[in-house]
Amino acid sequence: MIEVHSLRKRFGGVHALAGVDFRAADGQVTGLIGPNGAGKTTTLRVLYTVLRPDSGSALIDGLDAVHDRPAVQRRIGVLPDQRGLYPRLTAREHVRYYGRLHGLGGRDLERRIDALFERLEMAELDKRRVRGFSKGETLKVALARALVHDPHNVMLDEPTNGLDISASRAVRALIDDMRKAGRCILFSSHIMTEVAALCDRMVVIAHGRVVANGSADELRAQTGCADLEEIFLAAVAAAP
Amino acid sequence: MRPLHGAWAVFVKETVDNFRDRRSVFMALIYPFIGALLLGLLLNFVGGMLRGQGESKLVISVQGAEHAPDLIAFLNRAGIEVRPAPPSPRAAVRAGHVDAVLQIPPDFTEKVEALDQAQVKMIINATRLSTVVSVSRVSQQVREYAVQLAVQRLRALDLPDTLASAVRIDNVNVGRSRSLAGFFLNMLPPFIIFTIFVGGVYLAIDSTAGERERGSLEPLLANPVPRWQIMLGKAGATMAFTTVAVLLQLGAFKLMFEYVSRGDYGIRINPGYDAFVAAFLVTVPLMAFATSIQMIITTVSRSYKETQTYLGLLPLIPSLPGMILVFVPVSTKLWMLLIPTFGQILVIGKLMRQEPVLWSEALIASASTGLLAVLLLAIAARLYDRDQVLFGG
Repeated sequence: MIEVHSLRKRFGGVHALAGVDFRAADGQVTGLIGPNGAGKTTTLRVLYTVLRPDSGSALIDGLDAVHDRPAVQRRIGVLPDQRGLYPRLTAREHVRYYGRLHGLGGRDLERRIDALFERLEMAELDKRRVRGFSKGETLKVALARALVHDPHNVMLDEPTNGLDISASRAVRALIDDMRKAGRCILFSSHIMTEVAALCDRMVVIAHGRVVANGSADELRAQTGCADLEEIFLAAVAAAP
Repeated sequence: MRPLHGAWAVFVKETVDNFRDRRSVFMALIYPFIGALLLGLLLNFVGGMLRGQGESKLVISVQGAEHAPDLIAFLNRAGIEVRPAPPSPRAAVRAGHVDAVLQIPPDFTEKVEALDQAQVKMIINATRLSTVVSVSRVSQQVREYAVQLAVQRLRALDLPDTLASAVRIDNVNVGRSRSLAGFFLNMLPPFIIFTIFVGGVYLAIDSTAGERERGSLEPLLANPVPRWQIMLGKAGATMAFTTVAVLLQLGAFKLMFEYVSRGDYGIRINPGYDAFVAAFLVTVPLMAFATSIQMIITTVSRSYKETQTYLGLLPLIPSLPGMILVFVPVSTKLWMLLIPTFGQILVIGKLMRQEPVLWSEALIASASTGLLAVLLLAIAARLYDRDQVLFGG
């Protein structure tokens, strides 16, 4: 479970986060939606422990992302906006590296990698160096790497960005599986159809604040709009 | 879980990753041979020059040899072979066809017999360094011939020989190694220092500035490994590459000396294996020092290019004192030993010249550099812990 309370963060004179509050429950997919520069990535960065907020708190399973950093890090799987692979390493070496950073090793680790590669249908990528991988292949490696330690909370920044239709569908299927397994999934996107198809709840962020929060139906009721894109535009426009 | 498992995982990954990178491998495995190759070629060249000196024959072109048969006989006895000069001596010397031309005027013998002052001319080209040895030897022999003539004249007048030259110079060479050896051995420390600062440089750049630019630093920092361990793993891999580079370079130097001292170069310098092992041990704290500085720079600079610029200039600074010491040797003082790189240059220089090195000297240099390295590494760890590490600056 992920809880965010009055999160604030400034970069120079810019308020990237001006008091963000929301909650993402277990067994649910929560979508973080907002225009470019709204604060989605900054919020995720605080949640996955690479950025300290100026004030407010970010809790993962009740643990503080700043004060209980190592414990939080063991409970999260992270797919950042920039996938960040190493061109000279093979797909398996990427996943093995992160497994080892999580203290895994030996046969157990290799078995986990085998299972993930099967689940993500990437067995043929196993021994290939990632230089020259397509966007879909890159995403699969980054996802396998994020999930090797079987995290309870998964944070995905624009997971389907730039993917073709079949790859997007595969990612959506994986997210759906993880929800059924009772995990807490938080993902950011600006593609409304994707959000509508996947999310149980939506958190709309604009100008560093949450401007709307709820299920698709709740948001329809709040804004009086039927179409999701209309809801989004109405919520953002209503923000101060 | 082992205590440093995170640092170890990072170390292994960076080592494997960078072993597949051509730039990293060049700096660690190929670059170290350049110093030995250059110095070997230089020794070869100088050895060729020196062969003109001493036992072997020296050839000099003489114009008007027939005017001074006595002088020519004197030169021949000194091992100097005389050849007729080319038609236009000045042009030939300027063009480098001959080293020098000795011009003897027709009235030479006449003046000598009249107890007058006879004159000869040496046509030389002072810009050609390779002729220095032969020119000075011929000049010296001519001067000795003049002194011999003067002595003969003094004896004829019943005057003491000492009037011929009021001051006699006897050279006493106290340099431990013979001839130019010390000069060449002094060139080793700057080469070694340079390698220490470039051996692992690409790994240092790639593993933090490069990682940041590729976007892979962000997910890496979300792993449950303390940041100081991540930094330590990267520093360890950088130092491993540096160590390999230095070992290869020392090995290459030793091989080069073996080859040169066995060959017919007239140069007998070959520091022993013990000197090379000791030199390696002395460089270890300096390698840690260099790695720490590289980690700090790669952490705070804003881009790969910026890091490359700073770290490209860095090796010049510590190598400078060594370059100066090649030409202006100084006596060792305590404060010098305390300065990283300077202390090592002095100690390695002594080891190579086979001069006695005091334990205290090596210890003071190593301890002060080692302590500074630890301090800088702690600073690098603090810098890694800032959020700013994601963006640089």
